[in-house]
Amino acid sequence: MAGVELAPTTIQVLQVLTVVIFAPALSGVIARLEARLQGRRGPRVLQPYYDLAKLFRKETLVPQDAGWVFAAGPVVAFMCYLVVPLLIPVLTTFPLPLGYMGDILGGAFILGLAGFAVALAAAETGSPYAQLGSSRAMTFGALIEPSLLFIVFTVALVTATDLPYFQAAATRASLSSTIRPAHLLAALAFFLLVLNDTGRIPVETHASTLEFGMIDEARAFEHSGPLLALLKWGSSMKQLILYVLLINVFAAPWGLAGSRAVGSVLLAIPVLLAKAFGVGAIFTVIDNSFSKLRLFKITEFMAAAFLLAILAVLVLYLGGG
Amino acid sequence: MAVAPPVPTSFSGGVEAIVLVMLLTEFAMLRAPLARSQIRLYAFQSLGFSGLAVSVAATQHLDDLYVLAALSFVLKVVVVPSIVLRLLRDARVDLAGSNRLGVASMVLLAIAISVFGFFVVGSLPVHARSLPTATLGLAAAMILVAFLLVILRSDVVSQAVGFFSLENGVSVASLALAARLPLIVEVAFLFDLLVAVVVFGVLMRLHHGRSQTLSTDALDRLRG
Amino acid sequence: MSWDLLVILTAPFAVSVACWWAPVRLAQALTLASGALTFVLAVLLVPAKTTTALSGWLRVDALSAVFLVAVAFLYLATAVFAIGYVRPAGEPKLAARYTRRLFAGMNLFAWSMAMAPVVNGLALLWVAIEVTTVISALLVATDDTDEASEAAWKYVLIASMGLGIALLATVVMYYAGSSAFGGAHELFYPSLIGAARHFPPQIVRLAFVLAVLGYGTKMGLVPVHTWLPDAHSEAPTPVSAMLSGSLLAVSFYAILRFYQVTERAVGPVFPRDVLLAFGVASLALAALYLASQRDLKRLFAYSSVEHMGVLAIGMSFSAPIAVVGVLLHVLAHAAAKGTAFFGAGSVVRKFGTKDMSRIRGGIGALPWTGPMLVLAVLGLAAMPPFGIFRSEFLIVSGGLSDPRDAVAAVLVVGVTISMLGLSWFTSRTMLTPSPEGTVRGETSAWIVSSMVIGLVALAILGVHPPGQLSDLLTRAAGELGARP
Repeated sequence: MAGVELAPTTIQVLQVLTVVIFAPALSGVIARLEARLQGRRGPRVLQPYYDLAKLFRKETLVPQDAGWVFAAGPVVAFMCYLVVPLLIPVLTTFPLPLGYMGDILGGAFILGLAGFAVALAAAETGSPYAQLGSSRAMTFGALIEPSLLFIVFTVALVTATDLPYFQAAATRASLSSTIRPAHLLAALAFFLLVLNDTGRIPVETHASTLEFGMIDEARAFEHSGPLLALLKWGSSMKQLILYVLLINVFAAPWGLAGSRAVGSVLLAIPVLLAKAFGVGAIFTVIDNSFSKLRLFKITEFMAAAFLLAILAVLVLYLGGG
Repeated sequence: MAVAPPVPTSFSGGVEAIVLVMLLTEFAMLRAPLARSQIRLYAFQSLGFSGLAVSVAATQHLDDLYVLAALSFVLKVVVVPSIVLRLLRDARVDLAGSNRLGVASMVLLAIAISVFGFFVVGSLPVHARSLPTATLGLAAAMILVAFLLVILRSDVVSQAVGFFSLENGVSVASLALAARLPLIVEVAFLFDLLVAVVVFGVLMRLHHGRSQTLSTDALDRLRG
Repeated sequence: MSWDLLVILTAPFAVSVACWWAPVRLAQALTLASGALTFVLAVLLVPAKTTTALSGWLRVDALSAVFLVAVAFLYLATAVFAIGYVRPAGEPKLAARYTRRLFAGMNLFAWSMAMAPVVNGLALLWVAIEVTTVISALLVATDDTDEASEAAWKYVLIASMGLGIALLATVVMYYAGSSAFGGAHELFYPSLIGAARHFPPQIVRLAFVLAVLGYGTKMGLVPVHTWLPDAHSEAPTPVSAMLSGSLLAVSFYAILRFYQVTERAVGPVFPRDVLLAFGVASLALAALYLASQRDLKRLFAYSSVEHMGVLAIGMSFSAPIAVVGVLLHVLAHAAAKGTAFFGAGSVVRKFGTKDMSRIRGGIGALPWTGPMLVLAVLGLAAMPPFGIFRSEFLIVSGGLSDPRDAVAAVLVVGVTISMLGLSWFTSRTMLTPSPEGTVRGETSAWIVSSMVIGLVALAILGVHPPGQLSDLLTRAAGELGARP
């Protein structure tokens, strides 16, 4: 068994498949957990898969004035989410061939392109709620951008590269490099970023039906059928991708496959899922213990993320911490 | 290709993390809307300082610092916060005063000013002896943010907390630069906290009885 | 082992403790005795070169002796004044408690201020000045009014933050020292000054700027002076006199100690420039504010800011004669400002208000203290034959021989503007005819005698300072690096 090795390309495809296949499961686990925390029984863990299957069977309704962007948006976004897992350490500690195709910033750009495509598609509908959602998402996206940049700078200063694989290796290297302040700060800032990008409290109530507080959720209002399925699937993939970045780059890059042996690569999948479920549980608890910020107070949240990220750079740059 | 800086040791990484948490607490005080939570944050920050003093005492074999750690624990974590909290309870005041700026702009301003502090310290040929050098920049940032807290928040509690936490910042700096400085200096500063609390108490009694507020907007009788 | 320093450090403290329990009369007598004793001992230290005690922890050289004399003189004069100062209106029991509290506090305050010039080393100096803050903050709040507690709060907050910065300065100087000494040291002046040449210059510069900012807060340098007018106007008058005449001077002393080290380490240009900036700002702002005051005690408070500006500017001149002038100015300002506050106390007692628009005909109402207050104000405005005239004359003539003689012109202009402010006050409140029904008479013989003491001292300093005092000033200027 140890003798059989997988080709790097196979592993790379496996990374993408892992994300594509298991992303709805993560959403299901989180929804279930959330329901239990609130004292409800909650949906089945596999419910998102049934939802997707049902949506794919339904017809697509297009608003009267919407052009081709309406249909292209979800597709482009979904494709973006397929590309990102090629660049980041999902299953392995060693960089895969296409891993050099883009650095952290490249990954962030692709995620940003996905968000842009969704926003454009939402704006195309002419529905006020969808447009509200897309304009808010873009505004807050722009506000959170500086924090992301500073996190990238931190990574660059720590590893002298900007590849996520090297940051993960640096995190793994020793206890000292895990508890060094710059690393802690960058990880914390990234955590806040993930909270924002996955539409969690305190930025957004993701399960709310109140349109006025919505940001991300509002954008899919006018889509239906397979397009809605792509949007939903895409957003759960985005969630898993962000979790993977948080786990495998900053927080706990352990349990990844160290070699190309079949056993270790296959073992890495359940380990990753277990870690993702753990992080999902943390997010769910946060979701249920805090209240949502008023829309105009969200800038405070952004300021906090920015503070953490900039401190990380400062501590590193001026103190070597 | 650039060379990555060396990874700090676990000790200095841990110590820096403590000071960093103290700085973040300072920022939290800056934005905390409730007077009560500001005091609790201050107590938490002081706890960090006590821990720092103990760790320096252990690594540098300076027994004086154990005394300092114990004293600042008793005074700054227990006595001062509980007295002030009690005064607040008697005055039945929850909200600290209004901010002169929005929270986000206040935090951004504080970030800018701490960057300034970092660079000033970074440009000086100073090397902390008993703590990692980054703590000096952090302490400078803490002191500057404490000043900002006093200037930007217009209520008595914030001003008091700002001064108290300034004391924490100065103490961290002196721990880093001059851990062997005679103990009496530090103790005198601790003593000053108590007097500030006494004056604070007198002020609360008189001032609150008159205007039912702790905002400094009411402290405008003397001007010119 | 010299016992005189120990007595200076114990007598006021012991008397302060006694004042808590002793009957009022006894407390007053003890305070007077302790004031006289401290002053005599301080004067006896004038001819001595350097006195040390307690294995070097106490040390009085010429520079400390100047400030010790200023503190001790004002202690004595205030002790005399305070006997005549009682709280206006109040039932006897409360009044007695108030008086006891005031006397105990005053003695303790004098003790802490005498401690500052007597101790050796920047660390202990900081502790002593910290103690003065602690005590004086409580003293400012003695009157228990809204305004007094507001002033005390501002004072304790701003002064303590300033002292936090001063502690940072001390720590940085310790660091500079330990990089030359290679380990722990006690921050004693002689060793610091001796080794200053080996200190890293940038660090010493940082320490000096922090020290001027930190101690400057207590000294009342603009822009960190904001607590000063409030505290001076709301404190009980004896406390105001001591705050203004000696506390500000003691803070200046702390800056001078940093100046000594800095001057050796990085040369005199840098510290002089720093002091010049603060001094010009203080002088200019105070001179402008003086003209717009309505409150009698605030007027004198701003005059203090002005004189602190003069001190800082004087230190920025390179001529030795200017430094001698600065040290003389410390003494003369203590005498003049003390006397002015005593007079203000008398006026406030007589008219029951500090509001200058309601004080008319002071000279007519107060046959002794009225004219003497006018004289003290003239002294503050640097009129001959008083001490401030002589000291400012020395400073200006030193300034004119300086390459930056324009600053001397600024100094003269600033002093003249503030003289206008002061004389406007005098002519409005003191020299106007008394309104109908004013009762002519003094409130207390003690107040009269305290002002006599102050004016006599001021005149002696102006007309003919004793030879040994001049010697002392020259020696102290030499210690500050100003050798002819």
